Amino acid sequence: MRAGVVTMSEGLPLLILFGSQSGNSEDLAVTASKLSSKYGLTPISKGMDEITLADISSNQRILIFCSTWGEGEMPDNAEDLWQAASSDAAPSLEGCHFAVCGLGDTSYDLFCQSGKDWDSWFEKQGANRLVARLDCDVEYEDPAAAFTLEALSKFAAVNSSGVFEEDKVGVPSSEPELETLEESASDTSAPPADSGDLGAFLSAGDRTLNVFFGSQSGNSEELAAKLAKNASQYGMEGVVHDMDGFDINSMASMKRVAIVCSTWGEGEMPDNAEALWQAAASDDAPRMDGMSFSVLALGDTSYELFCQSGKDWDKRLEELGANRVVNRVDCDVDYEAPAAIWAEEALTMLSATDDSGNLHEELIDAIRDLVSGGVSAAEGEDGFTLPDLSAGEVEVQLSVFRYDPHERTSGTDTWLCSLNGHTTLLGALRSIQRTHDGSLCFTDGAPHDPCTALLVNGRVTLPGSTRIDRLSNGRPGPVMLTIEPLPGYDVLRDLCVDFDGLLKKREIASIWHVSRTREAVKSEQGIAIGPMEPFKAAELHSMSNHAGPQVIHSCSDAVAYADSYLGPSVCLDLWVRRCDPRTSDKRISAIDATLAGADTILAETDMAPFGRQPLAGRDIQAALSSARTRALEVNGFNGRHGKHVWWYAWTLKSSGKVNDTVLYRQVLGPLGLLSNLSSGVTARMVTGFTRTGGKMVNDILALVAPPAGLGKMPRQFNKRVDKHHEVVSIFNSLDRRF
Amino acid sequence: MPIQFAYHPGNVAHSSAPEVDETMRAACRSLGIGLIDLPGATSCGAGILGQANRPLQATLNARTMSMAEDLGLDIITPCATTAATLYEDLNMLKSDLNMMGTVNATLEKTTGRTLEGTVRIRHLLQVLVEDIGLEAFSKKVKNPIRSKLAPYYGPNLQQEGLIGGDDVFDPWYLESIIESSGGTPVRYPSRTSSAGTPGLFSEEQTVLRQSATILSEAKAGGAKMLISACTLSHGVLDIYQGKASRSTGLNTNVPVVHLSEYVAFVTGNFPKRLAMLKTRLAVIGD
Repeated sequence: MRAGVVTMSEGLPLLILFGSQSGNSEDLAVTASKLSSKYGLTPISKGMDEITLADISSNQRILIFCSTWGEGEMPDNAEDLWQAASSDAAPSLEGCHFAVCGLGDTSYDLFCQSGKDWDSWFEKQGANRLVARLDCDVEYEDPAAAFTLEALSKFAAVNSSGVFEEDKVGVPSSEPELETLEESASDTSAPPADSGDLGAFLSAGDRTLNVFFGSQSGNSEELAAKLAKNASQYGMEGVVHDMDGFDINSMASMKRVAIVCSTWGEGEMPDNAEALWQAAASDDAPRMDGMSFSVLALGDTSYELFCQSGKDWDKRLEELGANRVVNRVDCDVDYEAPAAIWAEEALTMLSATDDSGNLHEELIDAIRDLVSGGVSAAEGEDGFTLPDLSAGEVEVQLSVFRYDPHERTSGTDTWLCSLNGHTTLLGALRSIQRTHDGSLCFTDGAPHDPCTALLVNGRVTLPGSTRIDRLSNGRPGPVMLTIEPLPGYDVLRDLCVDFDGLLKKREIASIWHVSRTREAVKSEQGIAIGPMEPFKAAELHSMSNHAGPQVIHSCSDAVAYADSYLGPSVCLDLWVRRCDPRTSDKRISAIDATLAGADTILAETDMAPFGRQPLAGRDIQAALSSARTRALEVNGFNGRHGKHVWWYAWTLKSSGKVNDTVLYRQVLGPLGLLSNLSSGVTARMVTGFTRTGGKMVNDILALVAPPAGLGKMPRQFNKRVDKHHEVVSIFNSLDRRF
Repeated sequence: MPIQFAYHPGNVAHSSAPEVDETMRAACRSLGIGLIDLPGATSCGAGILGQANRPLQATLNARTMSMAEDLGLDIITPCATTAATLYEDLNMLKSDLNMMGTVNATLEKTTGRTLEGTVRIRHLLQVLVEDIGLEAFSKKVKNPIRSKLAPYYGPNLQQEGLIGGDDVFDPWYLESIIESSGGTPVRYPSRTSSAGTPGLFSEEQTVLRQSATILSEAKAGGAKMLISACTLSHGVLDIYQGKASRSTGLNTNVPVVHLSEYVAFVTGNFPKRLAMLKTRLAVIGD
């Protein structure tokens, strides 16, 4: 037994729940948790979003702190649990004892409504109200402290059978005063112990945790294995021991021991524990003074001697001088939840115990932080330091596109929220959907599922694998995110799009593979197999290794505006087939014809967007450019696109500079120029309506012959660059077509 | 001592966008940036020449970049397309030594030059923010334009590594320039989208839709003027906005100036043109 602790009752788990919006309820829960041990209670504190109704129903003592939000609403982290509790399937809580502390503000109409709701609900489910509900106003500290002390003292008087024994209500030997409560609360904001100190402690001396199981049906063995496995998270090496045949002297030399033991028949030890128990119970049993231990007992309340084996071990080890660091927990047939609570507490306390059996209370919080990820790094098994992937809170302004297909209205909803930096974008959307707007529609899925992709600040992004803090541009203020559905698809609702159009385009383009007849070794099934040149295989792989056709389709900035354009993903697939040496000649000709058509790669207005999209990248951009080059060659540089490229190269060779007058004349032709004249483009240039400079004489000159030009009217003739002959020489060396 | 760069004016500053070259020189003078002309520099190819022959474009650009290396200077350009094309070709050559060898062999045979790959490509925007600094820039501002202004980056400046310390995911350099010179930046979704300029000749309807979306979104955000960091997009967004509006039915009527024009004006150059521009800001629009 730990020095200075008065045990009001042994093995008394207490579940402390908090529903918190601003953190006040959570602070109270933490304070209550710290004080619980002084009453002989084994607390486990949980946010209401970390627990289910099933967990609640398996507890006999439940202390609730819950604030009220807005107009009588549950805090965000309590909403889901409340919804579940309000359903018809809510469990019976007969035999359970509870107390509720509501936090609120009397300036609102529905003061402490959430606390009232929970209080009524527990009563309705058959639970016993141990302390009258407390409704706190904004000055909550003092009344909440008094309530907490009263509640803890009464919970300690509920025995392990769930019976409240009023005569056992008492106070601990060192009754905490209200100031202590405040200190405890303020402690929660203190930083955890230095991770270097903790690291040294956790690596010093023998850190073995010996887990013994006495099992008849296998449940204890399973729990023991789980406990040993989780020990590594607490800086211990878990070793599981079957009690069967184990030497009591070896057991006596151990520093940290956890016992998981079931009871068989009428309070009997399980078969595998019998011999060891006989040795331990004998008068010759060795002393166990240096041992720290805790016991989890499994049983069945329908038997008279409930959990007797566990109780026997617990009592005997104490008699032999071992130090109980966590009170025994007695589990009924639904043992999972209380066993998990016990395991967490036992691992923490045993971890904080040194070789001499001293409990280092100052390290308990740091160990809990370590397990929950609060310490910067942990040592990996092979010696390298695992990176800390967690990040602090960041302010995020999410502007999300909304579309209602029934009303046919669209707009943007904006949320300013505080999120952990390591939260994924998908996680943020899920959170908004769960806590703020259940009607928000987006495609959920695995982190790399291309169907979940979204447009974030102009970039195609897989939200499940994108952290919020990675989207920060480092400027002061909130991370500004504009989230839109993938472009190039019909929007179904909000961020959900219909990929059916892409599937049809892929079908139209016949992107499937048609093999040539090959001279090769044949497999036993008669299928030709043969090696591919490594370079060619790598090339094909680099073009095919992307986030998915749905994503590549949206990496084009043009695809949303060109209805008939089959899109880059179809073009890419065609090009990969075209480059595949296994493709038949006939199929290559067909692909060439398709690529040279007006609706494939030549319909792409700008290749630059592919290079900037991380989910496409340079390899995809290069592949699409190669496909375009092939399409131009097939067309013989005819058509407007071909002429544009050809005359661009021609003017560049002629002077070293591009001549946009020539381009306009040669590419658009008389009809195109006439169109510009009638549409006002030419007039807009000549009148200088929007311009801020340039010589008007150039415009007029260009208007006469040849007319028109891109932007302001271009000069007709380019002055050649210095050493123009070098340019010509380079052209002649590499491409004599121009 | 002023900082110096080898100056590449871009593809069309000599012809259809002379105001870009003109204002670039004035702005740099005001900011203490020395521009050393590269009289032998060719057009960067704008990715269009590369569609016909990728090694040809890379070799021509290697020639231009080697000229800057001879001067021991980095290249500055006001054109986002030129910055991106030169940057892309330089990086391709530096990462593919076989290609670098082939290009240098051709270059040496035809011009006697070789490219080492030490030159850096800088867009005017990056130089303003990183070399001049926002505080120093704001001290040079004499004629602030106190209005809601829409920054337009286009897709080229969003290449990873091209624009220095700016965030390629959520850029803010243009916004900071606007803020430092008295304006209020407007945030709108398509500020980094392509206007489709390379496809203007062949896919005009698509380009008009793309341009109209950019202009109308900027207007919807309350912008009184759009500032483009890309010379080619500047031309299309400016000259074709009427046609784009008729083609799409969207409201696109908004003045468009290039970044170099804007910087030149606010630093006290071309006061008459600025007066005309301010008159347009007061007149044009809804």
